[in-house]
Amino acid sequence: MKLVETAEQAKQDPSYLKAVTELIYQLADDDFIISFRGSEWLGLAPHIEEDVAYSSITQNTMGHAVMFYELLEQLGEGKADVLAHERQPKDRKNGCYLEKRNGEGAYHGEPYFDWALAVVRNYFYETFKQIKLEAISDGSYKPLANVAKKALMEQTYHLAHWKMWMKQLQKSTDEAQERMELRIVEAWDEFGDVLELGDCAEDMQRHAIITSSEELKGKWLQEVTNTITNVPNKPLKQIYGNGRNGEHTVDLEQALETFAEVYNSDKTAIW
Amino acid sequence: MYNYVEDGDSKTTAYVEKDQDKYQQFMARIEAGEKIEADDWMPEEYRQALIKLISMHGISEIMGALPEKEWTPKAPTLRRKLGIMAKVQDEMGHGQLLLRVAEDLMKPYGKTREDLIEDLLSGDLKFHNVFHMPTKTWADAGMVGWLVDGAAIMSQTNMLDASYGPYQRALQRICQEEVFHAQHGEAIIMALAEGTEYQRDILQESLNRWWPALLMFFGPSTAATTGSSKQDIMIKYRVRKSTNEELRQAFLDKYLPRVFSLGLTVPDETVHYDKEKQQWIYEQPNWDEFKQIIRNKGPKSKERLRLREIAYENNRWVRQALVPKTVES
Amino acid sequence: MTKEADFYQVYEVFSRRGKKAGMQHQFSLLAPNEEMALLMAQENFMRREEVLDVWVVKQTDIRKMTSEERQQWTKRIDNKDYRTTKGYGYLRKKWKEKEQGMLDEKEILSWKEVGEK
Repeated sequence: MKLVETAEQAKQDPSYLKAVTELIYQLADDDFIISFRGSEWLGLAPHIEEDVAYSSITQNTMGHAVMFYELLEQLGEGKADVLAHERQPKDRKNGCYLEKRNGEGAYHGEPYFDWALAVVRNYFYETFKQIKLEAISDGSYKPLANVAKKALMEQTYHLAHWKMWMKQLQKSTDEAQERMELRIVEAWDEFGDVLELGDCAEDMQRHAIITSSEELKGKWLQEVTNTITNVPNKPLKQIYGNGRNGEHTVDLEQALETFAEVYNSDKTAIW
Repeated sequence: MYNYVEDGDSKTTAYVEKDQDKYQQFMARIEAGEKIEADDWMPEEYRQALIKLISMHGISEIMGALPEKEWTPKAPTLRRKLGIMAKVQDEMGHGQLLLRVAEDLMKPYGKTREDLIEDLLSGDLKFHNVFHMPTKTWADAGMVGWLVDGAAIMSQTNMLDASYGPYQRALQRICQEEVFHAQHGEAIIMALAEGTEYQRDILQESLNRWWPALLMFFGPSTAATTGSSKQDIMIKYRVRKSTNEELRQAFLDKYLPRVFSLGLTVPDETVHYDKEKQQWIYEQPNWDEFKQIIRNKGPKSKERLRLREIAYENNRWVRQALVPKTVES
Repeated sequence: MTKEADFYQVYEVFSRRGKKAGMQHQFSLLAPNEEMALLMAQENFMRREEVLDVWVVKQTDIRKMTSEERQQWTKRIDNKDYRTTKGYGYLRKKWKEKEQGMLDEKEILSWKEVGEK
């Protein structure tokens, strides 16, 4: 495997540059949108201690997004804040399931958020992120591998946290089991594109930036089926389309409107 | 963030401790600077005043997370998003520390955190006047971080030597984190003050709106204003050192020169420092309005309580699910 | 419906900051079981500092001194100088007369460096 040590070196090979840029957009956008949804939970978690703990995870995850956006900045894609706040939905690469609203109601009105969704979504996502980061940390793009290794330092705690919630709620009251199962079955229809690497998957693999998406998916499936009490008896789907190709739902538009509201109120300003 | 909220509802009957020996011993201990622990004997008046003070303080932290929370996902840059999340998280964390202290004090009455939340929702437990106010622009997020927190730091540091050990230890942790809060608030304000015309406009507009609430923050200077005052009891029992007015003056001392240095004004033409009296002169805020606000009749009281209620009710199934008997871990 | 008071068990939290530091009490929290208590503990009380180890103990499993015990068992007559260096401070002057330094705490603890020179 030929290591690529710097952004400048990556820019020498257009096909390499395209593949690595694409992958980093996916990582950055995934982390950014899920931490945005996490930030909406602040103050509303099932109890105060959990509120504090979950917020740390959200902050860590947004911190990871910042590191990924900064890698893109080095690759000539523009400033991290611009990448996070200005890109239109069609240019965003996050999985659709991650942009989904936290539940019924509205954040600035009456938010009837669903903790079962938070637990299932975060557990599914963090499990996949762990696997993906491990694959990347052995990959050919050194600056990305280094960021992946850093992010992995915090990942273990995130995963342990959500796995605990998965286990405890699935073993609990009938109501909790039902709610969890509902969200698991739902996720089975919606999580598919999170596991994808998009159109450049082959190039990413050919350049040894990451392993194949089949391998990643296999590992993820093995891990989550060990934790889920009743594994849905149906193939994984992506009913909202493929976020890796810029297909998104109205929920992403709502998110963008919210997180860029102040940013957009005066674009000449330094905040 | 804290101050004792008084609405004039509570009666001020003279308190007489039955066990005078124990009472004298207790007073000797706190006057010698000893710290009282949760399971030590304490006068009923002391316990009740502490429960009221600390549960109000704790629940105000939790309610205080809500106005800033409205701006958390909207913060204009990645760094500001991270900063305000960490700050609001701390407020929740302070609430956690304080409610734990209050819960241990309430143990003899068989009351728990659940009761506190229910007292809040029923209106029995008041929360601080500033958290009944709207946050209309991003500048308000800065204003809460800078001046509201500044006022809170002023009243909290005044209790750092409090005679009640668990409260005093919680305050140590809280005040350490408040240093970060102060700077977080200053950073937002500084960027706005040195920013575009639009940014300066929303900043001044925000200060104009928050000014009366900031003056009210420390409570009325005497019982005459609102009908009751617990400040004397708190001083007698060595929980706090200064009076409401002393705290307000100290706050104005620290912050008004900074406000003016940024080219901002306050919406009160009479404000000036009287060198002879050695104090700030200002126009009294409307204390009747203050009473209304803390009786949950402020501009955002109902909405904020409703939000807390939704969070509480909506997650009931989670707490029910994890009652120790039902979970096999 | 089960009373939620049962959900809220009190756990005391301890942590160790450095390799050489002892376990230190941090604060207490409410959690339904020890798994959750442990996962909540670090972010609730130590989110800004390095931490090497965390313990959680159910409050009811701790035998604490009672209020009376604290006040009675922790009192000592102030006549135990012979047990501490305070009672031997006069040696400093004596050694000085003999142009020697006192083997005080600072000096003795510095001996861990011998051999490394």
